[in-house]
Amino acid sequence: MKHLRAVNQKARRIQEHIENDVVAMQGPQGPAAQRPHVPMGCSIVFSPGWEVDSSGGTAGLCQPVERDLYDCYISCYWPAQVPDHMNNYPDWTAKCAAATKDWRNIDLVFP
Amino acid sequence: MKHLFAIAAALVSSAAAQGTLFVGTWPHTVQVVDEAKQKVVDHIELQTGTSHSMQISDDRKTIYASTIEKNGIEVIDVATRKVTNSFVLDEGGKKMRFNSWAADPTGKFIYMIVRPMEKKIDRFEQGKQQFAIVDLAQKKITKFVDMPAGEDAMGGGGRGGAMRFSPDGKYLYRMGGTITIYDASDFKVVDTIELSKPQFPGMQNVNLGQQLDSIQEPGILVSLFNSSDPVVHKNIFGIARFDLSKRTFQFTPIGPAAASMQGLHVAPDHKTGYTVTTNGTGGNKRSEFWVIDIPTGRVIRTQEFDGRARYTFGMSSTGKDLYIYGAGYDIEVYDPVTLKLRSTIDLNADQTTGMIVLPGK
Repeated sequence: MKHLRAVNQKARRIQEHIENDVVAMQGPQGPAAQRPHVPMGCSIVFSPGWEVDSSGGTAGLCQPVERDLYDCYISCYWPAQVPDHMNNYPDWTAKCAAATKDWRNIDLVFP
Repeated sequence: MKHLFAIAAALVSSAAAQGTLFVGTWPHTVQVVDEAKQKVVDHIELQTGTSHSMQISDDRKTIYASTIEKNGIEVIDVATRKVTNSFVLDEGGKKMRFNSWAADPTGKFIYMIVRPMEKKIDRFEQGKQQFAIVDLAQKKITKFVDMPAGEDAMGGGGRGGAMRFSPDGKYLYRMGGTITIYDASDFKVVDTIELSKPQFPGMQNVNLGQQLDSIQEPGILVSLFNSSDPVVHKNIFGIARFDLSKRTFQFTPIGPAAASMQGLHVAPDHKTGYTVTTNGTGGNKRSEFWVIDIPTGRVIRTQEFDGRARYTFGMSSTGKDLYIYGAGYDIEVYDPVTLKLRSTIDLNADQTTGMIVLPGK
């Protein structure tokens, strides 16, 4: 609204009230939907396996969930739900390249 | 139907030989896939661990891979498919974690942003983020440079933002909400380009997306961009060309932006572009291919497909195949004309990196 200028008190109040002037339909409308509170990310959620999706459910997870297994520490550096590949158990998946197919070959780890 | 024929004709006229794919996979392998056979034809075993990211040199003769366990670097010769150099940056209990990196045009050094993590008796102590120069011959970091005040917070979700060199190697570009240009010899800031300010006519809040490997122009960084106009804030996307020598931008708007877009790939004829959009989250997530007529900037076709919860979109070197991959052991191959699943390439190992697509000779 840079082409319009508030000239009286009411107009100036409206201008102060509206931070974003005109927003096209593509923009987010209304208040953001409430999202589930997942404390500390996926680290302490053990149902159904080790994480939930952003809506608190499981429909948004990789299917089967094993597809997502290795990404827990490749992109998250988050060793809580899987053995600590970085420091203590570097070989726990040495016999399992494709987790979906070979998950039975994953080593048991006893911390 | 007219569009279908146009796409089919463009693809048939593309007579280039099919190329080769390089994909990092579990546990410490780069798999080489023949695009024509759609089969794995070679395995390159990495020495230092699981590949986390890969980059290719400008001359397309060398692949650089970063590995995650001990923050390693591997250099792969594309012609022989052999690892020619590999080493780790970690020193004992000191981990040199890096996310943002780029090889200089000479191929002798890698510039990166590192954050040292030192293992103490009862904790890991997190160091400050710094620039580092890795000498590939000496196989170690030979120089650390402090980042300018406030600079360590910028870029890619705390991961530093993408880095690129100017063609002459004199300047280093760091991409984030601001493009910061450093003198590569001493890391002094020589210029900054604020993308959030409305310095381009009719645009503001410009965000650069991922680089478009399917449009290779020497000395030019080609990527997607998102921006909004200053009046009604309508979000649009398009192709941005940033001249790394002249530091000038050229923006080509294409259309209204979706909630999420998985990059844009353009067929070799530069007339047809493909992208994948997602709307909704969780179980309501819907994925669609969009086919874009590049000269007119019009979306000419959309097609919903069964997308994975997490995936990456790619395109073959000839534009005859579209790839959906990542989060798993297989690459799904879609037909660019029908936009239907045509076949699947089984890597028999979970993917850990993006894909490097090299054209055939």
